[in-house]
Amino acid sequence: MKDVTFKVMPGEIHALVGENGAGKSTLMKILSGAYSKDAGKIFIDGAEVQIRNTHDSKKLGIGIIYQEFSLVPELSVAENIFLNQLGSTGFWMKWGKVRKEAEELITGIGFSINPSVKAGDLSVAQQQIVEIAKALSENVRVLILDEPSAVLGPQEIQKLFDTLERLKKEDVAIIYISHHLSEVFQIADRITVLKDGTSSESLPVSETDRDSIIRLMLGRSLEAMYPVHDSIIGDEVLKVADLYRADKVKGVSFSVKEGEIVGIAGLVGSGRSETVRAIFAADKLNKGKIFLSGKELQFRSPRKAVSKGIGMVPEDRKQHGVILSLSLKQNISLTDYKGITDHFGFIKAKKENNNIVELIRKLTIKTENVNQEVGKLSGGNQQKVSLAKWLNRDCKVLIIDEPARGVDVGAKVEIYNLINELSHRRVAIIVISSETSELIGICDRILVMHEGQIQGELTKKEFSEENILRLAIGENENGSTIQSVV
Amino acid sequence: MNIKIRLKRFLPFVIKYNTVFIFLIMLVVSAIISDVFFTSANLFNLVRQVTPVGIISMGMLLVILTGGIDLSVGSIVAMTGVLCAIFTQTMPLPLVIIVSLACGLLVGSCSGYLVSIHKMAPFIATLALMSIVRGLGFIFSKGAPILVGESASVLTDFGSGNSLGIPNPALVLVLIFAITSVLLKYNVFGRIIIAIGSNEEAVRLSGINVSAYKFTVYAIAGGLSAVAGIITTARTAVGSPVMGVGMELDVIATVVIGGASLNGGKGSAINTLLGVLILGMIGNIMNLMNIPAYSQQVIKGLIIIFAVLLQRFQRNNN
Repeated sequence: MKDVTFKVMPGEIHALVGENGAGKSTLMKILSGAYSKDAGKIFIDGAEVQIRNTHDSKKLGIGIIYQEFSLVPELSVAENIFLNQLGSTGFWMKWGKVRKEAEELITGIGFSINPSVKAGDLSVAQQQIVEIAKALSENVRVLILDEPSAVLGPQEIQKLFDTLERLKKEDVAIIYISHHLSEVFQIADRITVLKDGTSSESLPVSETDRDSIIRLMLGRSLEAMYPVHDSIIGDEVLKVADLYRADKVKGVSFSVKEGEIVGIAGLVGSGRSETVRAIFAADKLNKGKIFLSGKELQFRSPRKAVSKGIGMVPEDRKQHGVILSLSLKQNISLTDYKGITDHFGFIKAKKENNNIVELIRKLTIKTENVNQEVGKLSGGNQQKVSLAKWLNRDCKVLIIDEPARGVDVGAKVEIYNLINELSHRRVAIIVISSETSELIGICDRILVMHEGQIQGELTKKEFSEENILRLAIGENENGSTIQSVV
Repeated sequence: MNIKIRLKRFLPFVIKYNTVFIFLIMLVVSAIISDVFFTSANLFNLVRQVTPVGIISMGMLLVILTGGIDLSVGSIVAMTGVLCAIFTQTMPLPLVIIVSLACGLLVGSCSGYLVSIHKMAPFIATLALMSIVRGLGFIFSKGAPILVGESASVLTDFGSGNSLGIPNPALVLVLIFAITSVLLKYNVFGRIIIAIGSNEEAVRLSGINVSAYKFTVYAIAGGLSAVAGIITTARTAVGSPVMGVGMELDVIATVVIGGASLNGGKGSAINTLLGVLILGMIGNIMNLMNIPAYSQQVIKGLIIIFAVLLQRFQRNNN
């Protein structure tokens, strides 16, 4: 992030919009005290303030509601709300009072949740309400919400907006981070666009429109980023029927053909990653069938999936995609040791080296040598290593969860080209992404998920951010909202 | 000024090879403190003393590399030692060794099964087996030490004898060290267990059967504990159920002094071997100086803290 300036007034809802990686979360982390700024100033009520840690941030009245919630699942709602104040109530806990105050806070924002229930037993939407109540219990002056609608249904979003309107009247300054423009135009007073770590000027909602905001967000023409994609689509390779996984995936069926790039869109928590993880057998499947080239497969482990020719680049690069403390060589070879070892498992060093050097060249990974620690590479190069693991062996189906998250533009283009090239080599590819523009740019077909089911399928002609978003929030293809069946 | 600069260059080197330096310092200090230290009788004695811990430490290293721990090794030494002594009274020697080894492998496999299939915490699973196996040792021996049978003189001769001027048990240690070292450096097995200790989930998602590898390292640790049990019995001609009490802690200490991380993914065979020698020398030199056993324990603990602090310093420097 570099050079971001904006002001928020008391009683104002200020929207921050921008693509993933535009610097929204970095900005939040600075305000919350999790990161420290390299340069610049933060003012509250006109006075410059220092935020050195999360404690400073709280004392200044900054409340933050993260996309990933920070509730303790094993504690009750009331305990969670008053977690950082529990110590100051004297030796004996006044549980009755704590519960009562928690209840008041929750009803105060228009919801009813039993304060004695464990936070882990709540729905995601309810958890978010608890997060807001928690922030309010600390007398917030500035409330920051990061993609708050991502996990909410339409009615819940409306309730959230009502709550925000009420807080606005109490002179709380609200920063609303989102990339859903329709919401932003509905709720915000002013909009600031973040792009590649810099901010635009803050525009009042009445003086701007969707198109100009989109132009500010993207800053370049979409076409230049994505490869010309003329796929030669062959026979069906992968078919999944009626997949169920916990309460995240509820009856998903689709198929992918040779050389086809199928995108899966959907909001956070819609079951996108859970679906592909179940296909790869990273998670157990409760029900459903998986067919590869027409033959049903009984996967019980990723090992079997891999041996049948399915590969997966996981969503979380640093936790699951690569091993940061090991070398490039050790990472890439993990997926296929058969080709580089003898009968006793001894590694043919020369063969391995040649193999890795070839892949480094092909993916233009910027590294000193094959023994470089992956943790020392940039995010884009780490992502390329995560991909290289699967180029290392012949995959029939490659699942790529967030191919270019948090990666700089140059590496993004290279990754898109690579995916395109793989499809030319007749690999069936499934791409999951939160960036709808990315899916529109590289896919042949897009499936949109909502609450664990496929809400709709878009062919290339039907691709548009709006169509995807509409399906993602649970509207059907005709535009009417489907009552969510839970 | 000049010295300061030189020190600055020298320091990272020391920190990087801290195990080697601690080893060298111990050697020099031992030589200065005691003129008996460098006699062959004492060195033989030292080597014989450290051999059982050394053999098991190679198995423990594998377990620790995967991010696990095995507390049952000391109990396995006792149980297999006792069983080996009992078997010598009725069975031919080759069978005695095979069956004793199999018992060690079986116990290790139990730990491996609990940890890899049932996802039990290694500390808990092996703590339970430590208790069970110690108890079995007492049950098999009826609580008394058991003399090795007359017919097994080959075993006791091997245990107390030398080849090429080196005590036989030490040769076994060298062999096991060499195998471990090669496995870790040049074999897929070593690669993968280090990767598992670094990030198990990433390895699983690369299509590797993590459970099988975890199972195997515990089985190996059990098997090597049995080797140590047999060798101890061979050396003393007695199988005793109180052998190896607290030995698991010595073994873990040697691996840690050797620079391995208890979180897994970091450690080497050569450094572990040096760790074994360092811990052995601490005991040896204090014996030579007639330091009472209780003080020895205190000093040993302090040296372990010092060694690990030095490694922490290394990690921070990175």
